[in-house]
Amino acid sequence: MSGPTGAGPVIEVRDLTKRFGAFTAVDRVGFEVHAGEILGYLGANGAGKSTTIRMLCGLLAPTAGTALVAGVDVSRHPQKVKRLIGYMSQRFSLYLDLSAAENLDFFGGAQGLAGRRLRARSQAVLEQVGLLAHRDTRTGDLPGGWRQRLALACAILHEPHLLFLDEPTAGVDPVSRRSFWQLVRGLVRAGTTVLVTTHYMDEAEYCDRVGLMVDGRLAALDTPAALKARLVPGRLFDVHGPAAGSRGRLAAIAGIQHVEPFGAGFHVRMADPSVGAGDLAGRLDAAGFPGAVIDDLEPSLEEVFLEVVEGWPAPANAPEVPA
Amino acid sequence: MWTALLAVVRKEFRQAFRDKRIAFMLLAAPVIQMTILGYAVDLEVDRIPTVICDQDLTSQSRDLGAAFVAEGTFRRVATVRDPAAASRLLEQGTAAVALMIPVGFARDYARQIPIDVQVLVDGTDPNRAQVAMNASAQFLAERAVGVSLQRLSQAVAAGGAVRSLPQQRLTPRILYNPRLKSAIFMVPGVAVTVLLVITTIVTAMGIARERELGTMEQIMVTPLRPAVLLLGKCLPFAIIGLVDVGTLLAVGSYLFGVPIRGSLLVVAASSILFLFSTLGTGIFISTVSRSQQQAILGGFFFLMPAILLGGFMTPIENMPAWIRPLTYLDPVRYFLEILRGCLLKGSGFADLWRQFLALALFGVSIMTLSVLRFRNRLG
Ligand SMILES: Nc1ncnc2c1ncn2[C@@H]1O[C@H](COP(=O)(O)OP(=O)(O)O)[C@@H](O)[C@H]1O
Ligand SMILES: [Mg+2]
Repeated sequence: MSGPTGAGPVIEVRDLTKRFGAFTAVDRVGFEVHAGEILGYLGANGAGKSTTIRMLCGLLAPTAGTALVAGVDVSRHPQKVKRLIGYMSQRFSLYLDLSAAENLDFFGGAQGLAGRRLRARSQAVLEQVGLLAHRDTRTGDLPGGWRQRLALACAILHEPHLLFLDEPTAGVDPVSRRSFWQLVRGLVRAGTTVLVTTHYMDEAEYCDRVGLMVDGRLAALDTPAALKARLVPGRLFDVHGPAAGSRGRLAAIAGIQHVEPFGAGFHVRMADPSVGAGDLAGRLDAAGFPGAVIDDLEPSLEEVFLEVVEGWPAPANAPEVPA
Repeated sequence: MWTALLAVVRKEFRQAFRDKRIAFMLLAAPVIQMTILGYAVDLEVDRIPTVICDQDLTSQSRDLGAAFVAEGTFRRVATVRDPAAASRLLEQGTAAVALMIPVGFARDYARQIPIDVQVLVDGTDPNRAQVAMNASAQFLAERAVGVSLQRLSQAVAAGGAVRSLPQQRLTPRILYNPRLKSAIFMVPGVAVTVLLVITTIVTAMGIARERELGTMEQIMVTPLRPAVLLLGKCLPFAIIGLVDVGTLLAVGSYLFGVPIRGSLLVVAASSILFLFSTLGTGIFISTVSRSQQQAILGGFFFLMPAILLGGFMTPIENMPAWIRPLTYLDPVRYFLEILRGCLLKGSGFADLWRQFLALALFGVSIMTLSVLRFRNRLG
């Protein structure tokens, strides 16, 4: 199979909607994914991330809207899509009573690989995910992080150019999460396009672009830096110390746009990006809070997410939220 | 498609034989089950515990009692004089049959007047009761004939002329299973039951497990088609089931002397047709179950009536009239008729085509329905 040739997006989604009875799980979602990028899909449990992915994989028929995956309309040719993609479902789904190699045997066969080619690919992916030494270990005896890597190996066995990963690192320790992400980035460098969901905010930083999903709607989609600049503009400071004051009184100080309790102190956002830590200290002093300790803060995606979810007063340049 | 099918089949075999308990259930358990059923749940009745209630206490009455238990169908557990004592033994279950020899038996015997010898039979086990009644009736009839013959020959001897005597005896002859050996009757039944259980429950559970563990979703995103997946999941258990049938027949004929009078082709063909019904039912059960547990329950919900109505234990003729029509809806019935007919009577396709037709109809319709349901559920 030859890769997509950079012309146009690899995934094109328009007004994609899924209703279960009266409940709308995915509500008119639209986005594009370009060849060779990692698109992260962020959202709380039940936001509709898995439902979106399952529609894109041809597992669920959309109620409305269109999705073109590698140029194939998923609602018309779900079977055709399946040849082109790799998918790791949210729940761990390999056979625990089979060895690593036997799992690869089965899923490779299901993809139509056989004989020498299957053996060669099994060997290659096991090496790639670092499980060659454990090829004959019962999958149930592998630690959680290793199983996820084996699941990834199964998903890339047939060399798909498009990979859907649904919460691939859920319940895995931080070290394993990092090594998993290194694998994914390696695949992307080799030309694979990845759509990945997660609810770990820190993982979104590995993504080229991040979509935020809230209650079935795609509330924002951009690069992490752009999201931060747009949704958490101004400057962010960490204010703590003996006289950090109360939230309400801080918020009343001129120039302070938002105050969020954080640990023993507060995260304070200034509307004017040119205001420095020294200026803020002066204003706090004037307002009767001398001696507060003030540190510069880089906004995290967590703040971006809270901004979107909690419906903070949206800045004028915030992306359009689909109604 | 062949690659994918082979992958599924190989995986199913690996999983089945990886788990020693499942492997045991599939291969050893049927033979053990048949051996136990063949010996223990012995429908063949002999050595029925019997109390002889001898109220006459003469040498003639003792003779009668001894002759009653001589043949082996009845086994003497006690000899009493008091009828109340005999009743008590029946009530306690120590004896299942009481032979009541009345006072004056020897006297009436000498006077050549009819004697009422009563046989009391415990009816709690109808099968045993039936055997006891038949055997005692036969015994008393033969005895009466014997006595008359003896008398006549004595009379003839006294008269000095020896002639042949016209004699009439009713001699029932049982065909196909002359010694009414129950194992011979049981083995086909066990073979049917084993095939039924293995293919239905294992199929239903296997699919439900994939759904429960989430592997089904992972499979569904491969190009593997649902029909190929089902075929691959059923094929190994169909093969194991057929191996079991073969083993059961071999062991049955070795241990219990079950004859194989008909063609093995008939056995194989009917087994394969029967498999369509059982595998189809297994798939159907999996489409209405969310978990393995529900699949097991669903399986038993189907298996119990299927086995009972099929005539495995109770001959269909002995079932209540209102139940009998239901047995026509049970594929087990037809398969059992084919197996018994073929093994015991040597019947072939020409004799059994109705049963074959019924099996084929059931199999194809259940299978079609289930596969369609399975496909729709993947939606
Ligand atoms: N098959 C289904 N039937 C009914 N409701 C469903 C089904 N699948 C998902 N949902 C509902 O849709 C919503 C979104 O689910 P999901 O896409 O799994 O969310 P996420 O992956 O973001 O946690 C949830 O409220 C869930 O209960
Ligand atoms: Mg999910």
